[in-house]
Amino acid sequence: MTTTGQVHIKGVVKRHGTFTALHGLDLEIAPGEFFALLGPSGSGKSTTLRILAGLDSPDEGCIVIDGMDVTDAQPGDRDIAMVFQSYALYPHMTVYDNIAFPLRMIKTPAPELDQAVRAAAGKVRIDQLLHRKPGQLSGGQQQRCALARAIVRKPRLFLLDEPLSNLDAKLRMETRVELKRLQRSLDATAIYVTHDQEEAMAMADRMAIFMDGRVVQVGTPDEVFGRPASVTVAAFLGNPPMNLLAASLAGGMASVEGVAISVPALAALGTREITLGARPSAVVLGAGGFPATVALCESLGEETIVDLALGASLLRARLPAGQRPREGETVEVTLRASGLHAFDRTSGLRLDF
Amino acid sequence: MRPTRLRTCVLLLASALLVTAWVFPVLWGLLTSFKTERDVLAYPPLLIFTPTLANYREVLFGSSSILPNLVSSLVLTACTTVLTLLLAVPAAYALSRLRLPAKQASGFYVLATQMLPPVGLIIPYYLVLQRLGLLDSFTGMSAIYLTFSLPFAIWLMVSYFEDVPLEMEEAALLDRAGRLRTLLYVILPQVRGGIAVTTIFVFLNAWNEFLFAVVLGGNKVRLVTVAMFDFVSVEQTQWGRLAAAAMLAMAPVIVLGFAAQRHIVKGLTVGAVKGGGRR
Repeated sequence: MTTTGQVHIKGVVKRHGTFTALHGLDLEIAPGEFFALLGPSGSGKSTTLRILAGLDSPDEGCIVIDGMDVTDAQPGDRDIAMVFQSYALYPHMTVYDNIAFPLRMIKTPAPELDQAVRAAAGKVRIDQLLHRKPGQLSGGQQQRCALARAIVRKPRLFLLDEPLSNLDAKLRMETRVELKRLQRSLDATAIYVTHDQEEAMAMADRMAIFMDGRVVQVGTPDEVFGRPASVTVAAFLGNPPMNLLAASLAGGMASVEGVAISVPALAALGTREITLGARPSAVVLGAGGFPATVALCESLGEETIVDLALGASLLRARLPAGQRPREGETVEVTLRASGLHAFDRTSGLRLDF
Repeated sequence: MRPTRLRTCVLLLASALLVTAWVFPVLWGLLTSFKTERDVLAYPPLLIFTPTLANYREVLFGSSSILPNLVSSLVLTACTTVLTLLLAVPAAYALSRLRLPAKQASGFYVLATQMLPPVGLIIPYYLVLQRLGLLDSFTGMSAIYLTFSLPFAIWLMVSYFEDVPLEMEEAALLDRAGRLRTLLYVILPQVRGGIAVTTIFVFLNAWNEFLFAVVLGGNKVRLVTVAMFDFVSVEQTQWGRLAAAAMLAMAPVIVLGFAAQRHIVKGLTVGAVKGGGRR
């Protein structure tokens, strides 16, 4: 297990004119970790990555890598490799020269360089394409070439800025697995920026959720998905997203749109105004529940997504494929206690029960 | 005949007329350069005649040889082109990339200098060069030629630099290339098309320049555009020799034009469509 590639971001603030892109960011990333920065566009995750790389400098705070303050260090002096969203391959050089470029810049002797280039190309399976120019490669091959250029000089830290976003859906799934395997085999720290929650959930050891220039939650994918820290995180994660209903809670009963829903699990929260969260998989059809009208049924093969109208609110359920209620029908619905979440109505923060 | 075919025919005819109008003086000049003085003045003009190389012999090796002037033109044009490129490439790179204060203002200034009519500048330039003792010298004239070639070259090069994605430069910086090596190995190879276009335009402008050459030059630096006028005098115009000298002066321009045709056409359309017409 590697001991290098430990990153500590301390109180980083970044302003663009009057706009504050990062409001005092604190993050600790352990050596060898695959760490995802997840959030919607404009939430500050790419800015964080650029500050780590040294391409932007923070207005306040510092970046410490392996115990060394690198806040003012030049990008080249940080021993970091980055894969850009656009890959940023040098179009006038062959694949071989692209991969060899970082080694040439540190004057690596020719035999060693050749060996390293071929090894890196072999690792990402582009060793037959070394003589081609980037323009003659497919999107997936270009992406591999960019990866090979990043791994060739064995840096202590990899930064990946949405590297899969330019690939088609099928290739993205395949590359996702490969990327994770590559990171494991290199035993290096990787920081991965994405707005695709599925990608982050599938690949990351831990992840940080960014919202409006702030980290709102850090944890393993299971922790973040299973115990979202706030309504915004809950709404952001999951597909379809979590149902969030304004509810008045009293004695283990939640009143949503005038409908009384039995939630004995939440009895400990007493009487208060909450936002009731229920994952679509926790919405179950069956006798003994509260009534709702089926608004829409979408069959996805292995499962059916059903939109249920509950007054003016909409409740989304994920049902097994066999279960397909008729549209317009009134059904009885219960909420499974294990998929329920409660958030304070005013602060939006998670309420534990 | 379908309307589209009619359209093509009309377009073809129109272009043929335009090309003829443009080519005619050049062809006439070429024919004249092979005629004796008597054939030149013959009326009606002779289309069939016995060609002679006497004019070229006289213009190149005779008493009024323009060979030294061709050499002067070549030296001055080469100096201007090399200096322009050496200064314009880094300047354009800086203007396109670095976050400099007053960058926009300086960019506008560069372009604004192109808007002044050159004839208005002749007297100030003459006085400056005279004070410095640089009239009729390669140094003085190159400096003056730079005043118009440099803004143009910078302006043209900026558009090429702006076409190179910033991420490519950042990738090189992360790969420990540093700014200078990034420029040399990553950026410049990608703007070589732009450098070619700029070289050609600057060369052509300097080679064809007449106004400054006639006022600021003299006996030491006498460019071919000025020397050609020796064949025109009050008593007599030596049409054959003038035509031969003109053909010789035009030769490098035509050769360069054909060699770099592809680049020139692209250079002319720079900025016409975003991301189009370059490289």
